[in-house]
Amino acid sequence: MRISYNWLKQYININLNSKELEEKLTFSGIEVESIDKIGEELKQVIIGKIVEKTSHPQADKLSICRVDDGNEIKQVICGAPNCAKNQKIAFAPVGSKLGEFKIKKVKLRGEESYGMICSEQELGISDNHDGIMILPDDAPTGKDLASYLNLTDTSFELEITPNRPDLLGMVGVARDLSALLKLPLNLPEMSLKSGKKKIEEALALENEAPELCSRYVARMIEGVTICESPQWLKKRLLAVGLRPINNVVDITNFVMMEFGHPLHAFDYQDLEGKKIIVRRATKKEKIPALDEETYTLEQSDLVIADASKPIAIAGIIGGVNSHITSQTTNIVLEAANFNYANIRRTSRRLKISTDSSYRFERNLSDETAEIVSKRAAQLILEIAGGTLLQGTLDSYPDPQKANIVALRPSRVKKLLTIKEDDTTLINYLEGLELRLHKQEKDKLFFEIPFFRKDLTREIDLIEEIIRLHGYNNVETFHKSQNIMNKLSFYARRKLQDILVSYGFCEVINWSFADPKDLDSLNIPESDERRNVAKIINPLGNDFAIMRSTLLPGIFKNTLLNISHGQKELKLFELNKVFFRKDEKLATEKYNLTVLLTGNLNPTFWKEKPKEIDFYDVKGIVEELLTSLDLEDVDYIASKENYFQPGSGADIIFRKNCIGNFGKLDPKIAQTFSLEQIIFIFELSIDDIFSLQEKRYPTYKSIAKFPPVLRDLSFVISKEFLLKDIKNIIFKTNPKIIKNVVLFDEFISDKIKEGYRSLTFSLVFSSETKTLTDEFINNLLKTIIANLEKSCKIEMR
Amino acid sequence: MKEELNKILESAKSEIDKTGSIHELQQLKSRFIGKKSGLMNFMKQISSLPKEERPAFGQLVNETKQQITNIILKCEAAIKESDYKKTLKSEFIDLTMPGRKHEKGSLHPITLVWREIEDIFISMGFDVAEGPDVEDEFHNFDALNTPPDHPARNLSDTFYIENDVLLRAQTSTVQVRVMEKHKPPIKIISPGRCYRNENDASHSPAFHQVEALVVDEDVTFADLRDILNIFLKKMFGEDISSRFRPHFFPFTEPSAEIDIICVNCLGKGCNICKGSGWLEMGGAGMVDPNVFDMLEIDSEKYTGYAFGLGIDRIAMLKFKIPDMRMLFANDVRFLKQF
Repeated sequence: MRISYNWLKQYININLNSKELEEKLTFSGIEVESIDKIGEELKQVIIGKIVEKTSHPQADKLSICRVDDGNEIKQVICGAPNCAKNQKIAFAPVGSKLGEFKIKKVKLRGEESYGMICSEQELGISDNHDGIMILPDDAPTGKDLASYLNLTDTSFELEITPNRPDLLGMVGVARDLSALLKLPLNLPEMSLKSGKKKIEEALALENEAPELCSRYVARMIEGVTICESPQWLKKRLLAVGLRPINNVVDITNFVMMEFGHPLHAFDYQDLEGKKIIVRRATKKEKIPALDEETYTLEQSDLVIADASKPIAIAGIIGGVNSHITSQTTNIVLEAANFNYANIRRTSRRLKISTDSSYRFERNLSDETAEIVSKRAAQLILEIAGGTLLQGTLDSYPDPQKANIVALRPSRVKKLLTIKEDDTTLINYLEGLELRLHKQEKDKLFFEIPFFRKDLTREIDLIEEIIRLHGYNNVETFHKSQNIMNKLSFYARRKLQDILVSYGFCEVINWSFADPKDLDSLNIPESDERRNVAKIINPLGNDFAIMRSTLLPGIFKNTLLNISHGQKELKLFELNKVFFRKDEKLATEKYNLTVLLTGNLNPTFWKEKPKEIDFYDVKGIVEELLTSLDLEDVDYIASKENYFQPGSGADIIFRKNCIGNFGKLDPKIAQTFSLEQIIFIFELSIDDIFSLQEKRYPTYKSIAKFPPVLRDLSFVISKEFLLKDIKNIIFKTNPKIIKNVVLFDEFISDKIKEGYRSLTFSLVFSSETKTLTDEFINNLLKTIIANLEKSCKIEMR
Repeated sequence: MKEELNKILESAKSEIDKTGSIHELQQLKSRFIGKKSGLMNFMKQISSLPKEERPAFGQLVNETKQQITNIILKCEAAIKESDYKKTLKSEFIDLTMPGRKHEKGSLHPITLVWREIEDIFISMGFDVAEGPDVEDEFHNFDALNTPPDHPARNLSDTFYIENDVLLRAQTSTVQVRVMEKHKPPIKIISPGRCYRNENDASHSPAFHQVEALVVDEDVTFADLRDILNIFLKKMFGEDISSRFRPHFFPFTEPSAEIDIICVNCLGKGCNICKGSGWLEMGGAGMVDPNVFDMLEIDSEKYTGYAFGLGIDRIAMLKFKIPDMRMLFANDVRFLKQF
């Protein structure tokens, strides 16, 4: 629903800017979908005076006007029949904008025109396009039209939840705001003067379907003059998105927007039998409706009829056979309430949704019918004149009873934890026009106003209280603890899970170690791992220190398992290691140690078993590091003394060694009584986390253009490492070269001693275009040239 | 003209009939009805014909083209069907021969239980806190309301690194460390390794405990029993109930030992519960006000509970592992069972 700020101010003296009002509405449960400034462009339209009018020499229908805009006299060509000298008019100068239409200097049949004299339709004020808009003589020349007519306004598009039909009118919104802002609500004064003639003398009402029409109020006014509505009324309707039609129809729409309860007016002249009958439609009954469609009805539909024909689909749309026209003099004013479910069914079946059906579908109150009837009658008498017939015809078989709901303040405290006293609670609810009916110990009885059918239970009242108190003003006590290190917690689990999926069994060893093991591993005296925490009262000499490496433990597990005949082993331990030198307590770090020995995979009848080699281990290391989102890792010859020389690597990340892997030196293996070939790797997990600030992978856009694959094969001296070769290739065009995959190494007597043949698969792709063969060929040539220059390759 | 077309049709028919491969068929298709085929060349003659003969001529050529297309489609279907039948014959599979193994490894049973404990408590809003294994006497004793000369300190089974430095004998040390750094509300568990100088079928010198600590306003003894019962039921099943026995711990008051219905016999009595029907699971109690005072937490405003359970013991009960030493032997025939 659309509301207007200026209109709202009639009922409540708010002094908020649109942003503040939006916030108040939003946090009281009325969502603001959009805010529109109205009349901004009419600030550029100026009140002008036609100081001279002559006819256009080349066109009968056009006249040449000289318009005083307060500054200077401008020539304007005008085609309106009603323009005349000395009139005050709305002048849109060159450069101003009316809707999408920009006013430019134009030549009309040889005469120049510097702007436009506007009609009401062109200004968006009404549908009137019969001629230009004539302003009163005392309108100040040169002033902008928006300020003069008070046309600037702000409209708010509101999303009203289905439980609150009372908010489908300005008064309802004002009432909620008055409760929220503690400002008085100013309802329009209503008093009616009627003539001597009684309504019964002119009209009869029969309600044949009280189950579908719980109330029907009819009033009659004779002798009205149908014409355009006054400016203020048109302005109100335009501001909330309604099109002005004529004064009586506009008044029914105005009152609907004011109180949220729709009304309808019939031309008394068209009512056969001088009767209003509320009845179910007959089967296949037809009605020509105001939207120029003819609808075929069913018996479940409710119609308003006269003695011979339906004149409206009740609560949904009026008939064209009884609507208000410029000839209308006597009118019947309908204000009623209909069964909401039935309105909804008919409206859905006939696919008609009107402002009226939208409201009736939401279960309105019977009581408002009389209020809006009175209000509309009052405005019609004021604006359209005429005489009101005495009395009303009112079918109201089962009057709506006031509901009483009990509220326990203790319950409010329990549910909301707000510490407001009873008086505050009562004030909140009285602001919404609930009336304190009775008061007992911890029990407040409230009479629910008729327009709030949604409030039936204690919990509904509690909701109103918290809405007015402010959801976000409820004090909260709990805070996030932030004790847990989630990053390392879940990363440790991830590493374990990946290894398990690769076939590794987790082992858990005691933290005690034999100091002699450090000698067996050739750990240098200066190494950190020699700074051990010694136990004063150990279980024995072989348990005398806290372990600073997980290797001896996993070696002992390996030995035990081999002695049981288990020769293919994949083991890992993820646990703490301890270092202690000058610190009082120890430095404790999580390490991951992995051991592989025997064949890579379980025996399979189709293939020969494959022994584990260096690259099997490296593949696992690479996969684990990728899973931790570690990029740009380097591998250099290991400093550890327990690897077979040349077969061990240290893993370098940001210049720090975060782990190592390789083949255990057979001589060292023997000191642990291990005769098999053993591969191991270790990662210092805590060191990795301390170096890495990346928490989660971030999305990288996926290439839109298909990649191009090319192979490249050459012979190269062994002195060049793969890493350096790849670097040279990548550097040639890092944006286009997406991947360089080694897929073959070939060494034989046919190749020079000290050389090897390498074959790469190169992946090219671009984010912006499909790569042409010519482009790729040129790029390949450059790559080869670069390789020839830096490493003297020979192409194969 | 008609004869010429018939000739083309006949030769196409005989050649297509001879072919047995899809590849050849494609070549024939382009030879007979492709852009440069004889038939299409023939079509070009149309421009030299008188206007009135053109439609009939065009129709005739198109009919021939359609006929050849139909022959090709029929032949293609026949070749595909015969290829398919060959595939069925050649791909013989002995359904009973073993598949390629991708043997997965296993997490240690302690880790399995450890994670389950963490997950149950995380789901109930607990954070997981960590503390050092190598501790000082303050965190292991003093702050836990065990002053010097207190008899509880005389435990000969604590491993010492130095006079004042030891291997923690219980995870309760983490209670102290958390309360030193964080103000209430606190709701944590802390699983970790502890050390005591004992070694037999039911005791290991290195073992694992999980500690829980909850401190807030209005934390009650009922909350303690609730949380423990919920945890035990989630861990061992809905049948499992618990009971508290009054006991003494220096840092809780009141203190209790927790028993659960024997998970093996459900209380009937068996060799695991030594006939009692109950199993001892750990210790619990309300945090002693002295502990709060020592850590400068308002012991009037706040209350709290703490408990400690043995992770290894839970693993042994859950997986029916008879001997503690099996947990640390790391025999893969044992490990792969979990």
